[in-house]
Amino acid sequence: MADALFQISEPGESRPKHACRTRAVGIDLGTTNSLIAIVDGGKPAALTDAQGEAIVPSVVHYAGDGGVVVGAEARDRLAPEFPRDTIASVKRFMGRGRRDAEATRKLTPYQFAPGADGEGVVRFAVAGGRAVTPLEVSAEILKVLRARAEEALGGPLQGAVITVPAYFDDGQRQATRDAGRLAGLEVLRLLNEPTAAALAYGLDKQAEGTFAVFDLGGGTFDVSILKLENGVFEVKATGGDSALGGDDFDRAIAELLLARAGMAEPADARTIRHFLDAARASKERLTSETETAIDVAKAPGQTARVRLSRDEMEALVAPVLQRCAAPLRQAMKDAGVEPGHLSGVILVGGATRMPLVRRFVEQWFGQPPLADIDPDQVVALGAAIQADMLAGGAGRDDVLLLDVVPLSLGLETMGGVAEKLIHRNTTVPCGAKQTFTTFADNQTGFDLHVVQGERELVGECRSLARFTLKGIPPMPAGMARLEVTFMVDADGILRVSAREETTGKEAAIEVKPSYGLTDDEVERMILDSFAHAEDDVKARLLAEQRVEADGIVAAARAAMRDAPELLEGGEREAIDGALAAVESARAGADHLAIRDAIEALDHASKPFATRRMNKALEHGFRGRNVDAVDAKLGGR
Amino acid sequence: MICWSCQKNAGAGAFCTACGALQPPDDAQDLFAVLGVPARFGVDLAAAETAYKDLSRQVHPDRFATGDPRARRASLARTVQLNQAWRTIKDPVRRAEYLLARAGIDIAGKQPTPGSEEKRTVEVGAPPAFLLEILELNDELAVARRAGDEVKVAFMAEEMRARAQASMTTIAAGLDSGVRAQLEEAARSLMALRYYQRFIDEATRNVSESGPHRTGGGGGAG
Repeated sequence: MADALFQISEPGESRPKHACRTRAVGIDLGTTNSLIAIVDGGKPAALTDAQGEAIVPSVVHYAGDGGVVVGAEARDRLAPEFPRDTIASVKRFMGRGRRDAEATRKLTPYQFAPGADGEGVVRFAVAGGRAVTPLEVSAEILKVLRARAEEALGGPLQGAVITVPAYFDDGQRQATRDAGRLAGLEVLRLLNEPTAAALAYGLDKQAEGTFAVFDLGGGTFDVSILKLENGVFEVKATGGDSALGGDDFDRAIAELLLARAGMAEPADARTIRHFLDAARASKERLTSETETAIDVAKAPGQTARVRLSRDEMEALVAPVLQRCAAPLRQAMKDAGVEPGHLSGVILVGGATRMPLVRRFVEQWFGQPPLADIDPDQVVALGAAIQADMLAGGAGRDDVLLLDVVPLSLGLETMGGVAEKLIHRNTTVPCGAKQTFTTFADNQTGFDLHVVQGERELVGECRSLARFTLKGIPPMPAGMARLEVTFMVDADGILRVSAREETTGKEAAIEVKPSYGLTDDEVERMILDSFAHAEDDVKARLLAEQRVEADGIVAAARAAMRDAPELLEGGEREAIDGALAAVESARAGADHLAIRDAIEALDHASKPFATRRMNKALEHGFRGRNVDAVDAKLGGR
Repeated sequence: MICWSCQKNAGAGAFCTACGALQPPDDAQDLFAVLGVPARFGVDLAAAETAYKDLSRQVHPDRFATGDPRARRASLARTVQLNQAWRTIKDPVRRAEYLLARAGIDIAGKQPTPGSEEKRTVEVGAPPAFLLEILELNDELAVARRAGDEVKVAFMAEEMRARAQASMTTIAAGLDSGVRAQLEEAARSLMALRYYQRFIDEATRNVSESGPHRTGGGGGAG
């Protein structure tokens, strides 16, 4: 019956009638890693690169020549060398101001561009004299994901669902949606990460009941309590900390590693990046091992071996993890649920792989968490399901997502008190109205300050925007009736409008977001990106090819140095010639020339590489994966 | 109503009777009518919830994500109204407030409900003796809390819950009586209930801070 209604209710809509799949994607834009997924044949699946890798590390490198490199290459090769120009964990800066904790902490490898007055949005000072906003950095990651999907689908996308932490405030959501637009995506919806996970899990396992989603990622912690019943995914309450995650564990571990290496607090970005990476590596190893030793560089050419046991690491991490307790308690209380009455606890996010985190969850909820889904992929899969539904994919008309506002929204009133118009955990979309009046005769303007948070005083809440209402007709004080309307849409994003009731005149609104970019600024960025779209693509391809060239040149040189006895007559000359050709192409600006030179080098060195591999196999690498051996030899 | 899509008479429902396009809501519509349940305190919550979810499935923005912008606006406005209706009706305190505002009884310090402004409203305030008693109880609670006397705090919270329960009973009986004097009695009880509620929140906030396995009281009143 509902189906029939929909068919006649959307006459102009180009809804694919028998398509087995839509062209809408789900994107998990994570702090550490990002993924893109699509529903194909009724099942969601992550899209992979040529090597079968689904994960794109959320790391963006800005090269001096204007090129941009995103992903594993940026993380593994470029970040250690160019820490200031290689932005990791950009999500922690989304919708944040210059004075926020994230931009002022000690162990940061980044340099921030000075602002006119120290206020406004954070900007990273990167190579080439550029200053980029977190929104632009995120857009670079999204562009790579978009390209991957367009290649897989062989054409443009219909739209995308991008996930955000449930606890993201309005500014962080706006920034994420604008990043999507800047990347050329039609953002169908912002979906809360725990809700996405519950959707993927619930549909896959046919789960019913009340569940908690415990989502601890690289930079954010979310907890959502959901009721799953008859295809309805109803968020009862959500809580979290949008600045708590695996990165904070890394920082705590890095401080200990520095102390053990006998180093004072370092100021240079390379050392900070190096120790943060070493901390992450130790943390990951200690997931399966009980003790690890890691070599850290103290100074050029000088390394120190630092030992770390799992117990020691857990002692460092436990106080940080303990910060999850208060949001957990609050969410359970808001939902009116006792921990023992939950049907299950779903784990999401890479940090939940840590044995300590699992023990914490089990202890807190009094039951072992459900670990039969991949915590790295489940969010992207849920987003893909939602995208498919939004784009009119078949057979999901019974599913209904009811999500909530994570933090109360209000206005500043007299005395700096925050008056809440919309309370946290209100189901979205939702709206509220409030009437104000003028306090001076012939007052024609009115300032409004929009805040988000649970505290009583405006100073302790997050400032979202300041509005100036103009064009109020002159009348005696107290006569004007200004009706201010708050409307939160299904993305959890707030819109404010105002009307003078006695005259019915819409008041003009001038928006000044506290920590974001104005619509005009974002619009300008998008127009700029259209103008430079082709340049951008070329610059990216060029940067990627250069990185590739550097890698293969270094590997070929090392191989010739290590095994000169395997070179046959004339081979060294041929390889040297090909190497020179790669280097000369690399100096140019034509990415195709570099690619061709790399292929020529590959071809020239192939017999040599094959001999090296055979030799190595003879020397007892037998039985091991040939690819691994190949990688070890630096061959291709 | 003239349908935005086919320009014919759309009828009274959510969807145009001629072409099926989703129509914007009537903002002045009674929230009980939005869910199609009788406007009374003793509402059938299960029926209201079923109606809420069935209607949400039909009009939710997720169903119109790629539709005509006018249909999308209608969907957003419809869903805002539906959510407002269910949020008001499912919670006994908000439900009571709404029913009182509908009957033209306003509680001091409460924003007038849109739509009720035209009616003459009677304002019900708190008697000074009541305020004084609450003030003293709050002081007592603060003292017990500072002294770390958890037993006393728990006892006081329990006592307050009993009072809240009694208020709720008065409210329930008064609201569906249709008798003016009883309605005003319900309004006074509702006003008192707000103070009790704040007291309970204050008392349980501390209890829940003391350990991760306790999450405070057993939910809201009623």
